[in-house]
Amino acid sequence: MRNFLNVAPTTLLVLVLLALTVVAFGIVRSRAMAAASGDSRKLHSLPNYYGYNAALFTAIPSLFVLVVWLLIQPVVIQNAVIEMIPQSAVDQGSSVNLVMSDVTRVANGLDAAVQAGSINPDRARNLSSSDTDVRALLAESGVALGSDVSPEVLAAAQRYRSMQGTGRLLMFAIVSTIALAGLVFAFRVTTEKFRARNMVERFLLSMLIAAASLAILTTVGIVLSMLFETINFFKLHPWQDFFLGTTWAPNFRGDSELSILPLLWGTLYISIIALLVAVPIGLFAAIYLSEYANSKVRAFAKPLLEILAGIPTIVYGLFALLTVGPFLVNLFGRGENGILGVDWMSGATSVLTAGLVMGIMLIPFVSSLSDDIINAVPQSLRDGSFGLGATHSETIRQVVLPAALPGIVGAVLLAASRAIGETMIVVLGAGAIARISANPLEAMTTITTRIVSQLTGDTDFASPETLVAFALGLTLFVLTLGLNVLALYIVRKYREQYE
Amino acid sequence: MKDNVISETDVMSNKIKIAARNVQVYYGDNHAIKDVSVDILDKTVTAFIGPSGCGKSTFLRCINRMNDTIAISSVQGDILIDGEDIYDSKVDPVQLRAKVGMVFQKPNPFPKSIYDNVAYGPRIHGLARNKTDLDEIVERALKRAAIWNEVKDRLLAPGTGLSGGQQQRLCIARAIATEPEVLLMDEPCSALDPIATAQVEELIDELRQDYSVVIVTHSMQQAARVSQKTAFFHLGHLVEYGETDKIFTSPEDPRTESYITGRIG
Repeated sequence: MRNFLNVAPTTLLVLVLLALTVVAFGIVRSRAMAAASGDSRKLHSLPNYYGYNAALFTAIPSLFVLVVWLLIQPVVIQNAVIEMIPQSAVDQGSSVNLVMSDVTRVANGLDAAVQAGSINPDRARNLSSSDTDVRALLAESGVALGSDVSPEVLAAAQRYRSMQGTGRLLMFAIVSTIALAGLVFAFRVTTEKFRARNMVERFLLSMLIAAASLAILTTVGIVLSMLFETINFFKLHPWQDFFLGTTWAPNFRGDSELSILPLLWGTLYISIIALLVAVPIGLFAAIYLSEYANSKVRAFAKPLLEILAGIPTIVYGLFALLTVGPFLVNLFGRGENGILGVDWMSGATSVLTAGLVMGIMLIPFVSSLSDDIINAVPQSLRDGSFGLGATHSETIRQVVLPAALPGIVGAVLLAASRAIGETMIVVLGAGAIARISANPLEAMTTITTRIVSQLTGDTDFASPETLVAFALGLTLFVLTLGLNVLALYIVRKYREQYE
Repeated sequence: MKDNVISETDVMSNKIKIAARNVQVYYGDNHAIKDVSVDILDKTVTAFIGPSGCGKSTFLRCINRMNDTIAISSVQGDILIDGEDIYDSKVDPVQLRAKVGMVFQKPNPFPKSIYDNVAYGPRIHGLARNKTDLDEIVERALKRAAIWNEVKDRLLAPGTGLSGGQQQRLCIARAIATEPEVLLMDEPCSALDPIATAQVEELIDELRQDYSVVIVTHSMQQAARVSQKTAFFHLGHLVEYGETDKIFTSPEDPRTESYITGRIG
């Protein structure tokens, strides 16, 4: 049993809570029936509602506390233990965080050793580094340490273990008490007149609200974390260079030039080419599907077009790299051997490659949104135009499209914000050279690909070369958010016209 | 009821504008219009009445071939306007609709300015030689539709911003701007309040001087007020057609009598 407690205290606790919940349902439901002397018609709510009410009161608050506890406990313990590590124990060139990770590894290693039975719990608790080779001991039970364990680290690890043990016990006690309290409360309020049905309703409502706020809070959290890292970046690197410089040349000598402008140019250039491809084709496809196609063609063609939207972008990237890029080189490069006999393009990666493929990716996006918007234009407007002797295409050009225009603009802006945030196609199709040039046959790079490259590989999270990724990310976020807000504003403002 | 009704001899002197012979309309398997033959006179308001689903709107939409825009519908029989079969393969339905204007149940101004709404038809048919010409056409149409005084100061404001009754009169102005010979109205007042209805009815009575007006209506009072001839449809059949006065006072068919006295419908 003790062993079991160590294996999975949280799992056990959840099982206990579930059992309590089932018990609560049964007890309170029968209490309600008893209160009505067996006649469920006398109760305010159906008997099951009393049960649900009790189950909710038992399970939800305790589970909530459990989750919060699990999130907070490691932080509290870490902060308590970190104080125990003296400055002297921190080696030259190392940091307190690295020592701390040693501590947790030793602590977890001891736990594992106890569990495997290679050391008894009392010995583990009273271990001292002077008379035992802790490193060898732990290695026996499969925990590898990088260096010998110093007394300070061992002491901290022991403290860590004991706090963790106490924490678990406390958690167990408190969470089960809350569950029991919920059960008792639900039991006591249950009378013939108690409005369990309304209570359950309110409980469910608050759970729905909690779910919605969680989604919003996560967004806020993401933005805040980006914001803090961005502030760190600007402490290390002048903002003038970031926003106004013209060169992107990261190095690790400490004199990097990290300017967003070449990346922003690449991003916008590729997005514009993508939109030039996607908007006409997508819009024409939407017009055909919504205005001319009969229902059979529509039922067949629309899902087919939307398959394009389901293709993972990395596959589009491969298409760009292996098919479109070489084709463009054949067309615009290779001098005499090329199709046009010119030598304008040397490598397969270029703005045009990435833009074309991204445009293909966006076609279903534009067409599906525009199709919905064109369908939302009331039939009465088309009838009015036909009734005046207009042809079908006159009606579309002069009545349907003007009426749908705001929505279509919104769709295009949404597509633009997707193009700006797109990563995989540009990683593979656009190249990695940051420059400001008007030639679409040259390789360029975008904000997203630079974020990827700055954060992959061996990175030190205190250097501006790494932190710049957050500044880039935040800029990108602001850019796409702005576009989305504008798009939604336009769509909403003009929607009322149809009503 | 007799106030607006002109005498029978007046009407009889008008020539036949639209002649329908043995018209059948199918929506897929549904036989919506069964063997309808009717002569509609020029410079006369003809009302189509009947219970919902009786085919009166369907028949109205045959007269300018609006049913062509519904894929599953098919029309048999002959409809002649001024002796010319409009279902002849030589007739362009698009041109026909310029000649046979239509006003719909719900006011449907385009989301454009008042001016552009009225200028829409003349523009697509090239009726104006220049801007001044177009201005004149727009002004004339708005005056004929009795809405000029209300909108002359805001011709560039959106047509959707007008009140319901004004919108419907704007739609009538839009329809008459293409100089049609026949004006079809599909329950033009059903979405309007009583005051707007009265204005539109007054307008319909004036339009009779120049056009052959066919109006579908659910309101028998309206039919009695604005029309000189009335056709009663029931279950796809044209049951009775004659002088409005006679239909409402001494109908020949028992079904007509039941309908106007409120027993069926």
